[in-house]
Amino acid sequence: MQKQRFEFFVGLFMAIGILCLAFLSVRIARNEFFAAGGYEVQAVFTDCSGLRSGSTIMIAGVEIGRVKQITLEDYEAKVILKLQPGVVLQKDAIASIRTKGLIGEKYVEITPGAADQMIPPGGTLHGTEPAMDLEGMISKFVQGNLSKPAN
Amino acid sequence: MKRIATIALVFLAFVGTAPAVSPLEEVKATTEKILLVLKDSKMQGEEKKSERRKLVRDEMEKRFAWEESARACLGRHWIKRTPAEKAEFVKLFSEFLKDTYSDKVATYYGDLEKVDYQGEKIQDDYASVKLVLKTKAKVDHPLEYRMEKASDDWKVYDVVIEGVSMVKNYRDQFDAIIAKSSYEGLLKEIKAKQPVKP
Repeated sequence: MQKQRFEFFVGLFMAIGILCLAFLSVRIARNEFFAAGGYEVQAVFTDCSGLRSGSTIMIAGVEIGRVKQITLEDYEAKVILKLQPGVVLQKDAIASIRTKGLIGEKYVEITPGAADQMIPPGGTLHGTEPAMDLEGMISKFVQGNLSKPAN
Repeated sequence: MKRIATIALVFLAFVGTAPAVSPLEEVKATTEKILLVLKDSKMQGEEKKSERRKLVRDEMEKRFAWEESARACLGRHWIKRTPAEKAEFVKLFSEFLKDTYSDKVATYYGDLEKVDYQGEKIQDDYASVKLVLKTKAKVDHPLEYRMEKASDDWKVYDVVIEGVSMVKNYRDQFDAIIAKSSYEGLLKEIKAKQPVKP
């Protein structure tokens, strides 16, 4: 009888441990299983290197949503942004892919606009800025630059 | 009655049609016109510099949606401005852009070898026209014009050079200047950047 009780508590302990592990995995992977509400808008970037599903979307450093999906469309990156309820974006808002610090993770930064019209759920954010291509910039700097007059 | 309805429908169909010329064609026409002027043998030399600049400015004037561009660059600060202040800002900002870009185009076109038009993408009332500027030094510079449908044509409201948006660039700068000083301080800085006209 005592052995059965002991085994029951071991089992319970294991089950709680597995649940905690699952909860932490979900949190770490930033899956949005429990996120409810909000709406989606899409944005097309010429380059979204480093961005992934679950990356944060911020305005002024405050999280306002997460990247839901990234797909290739017409050789460009179509990114579905899931925004929190209550967040409204003007038609001329701009989405830029930025890096947290010098080598940190990528996130989407939104700069609010001033247009009277707002982007409806399912709408498109037309103003986008791709991820900074450091290698490309260095190669242009080494090879030459249009802003320098020809000798 | 039926006849009137048919006429009304035909009229609506005409009114509702998209601009006749595509965004790519509009950009191509403006670019070719500017290049023709700059390559003209009669337009060369230092003494023709102001004339070259004026012609580039005139072409820019026709192709840009100045109010949309100025509003987008000022961002959230636009909402706080009075109609008179908005009108003043549009005028000041458009002059600043025309001066800056006409000067750059008129000075550096000599580096240009070829303009490679990549194509257009239209979605609702917005369009994106991509091209690559190929220089004599064999360096490619990607350029994108973001356009909005106007009543009878397409107007540029943003230019993305090497992935950097003009609107985003100015929006960040204006925001920082206003945060540091004031809106009046921003106007003062834009006025100070404008070249002194002869």
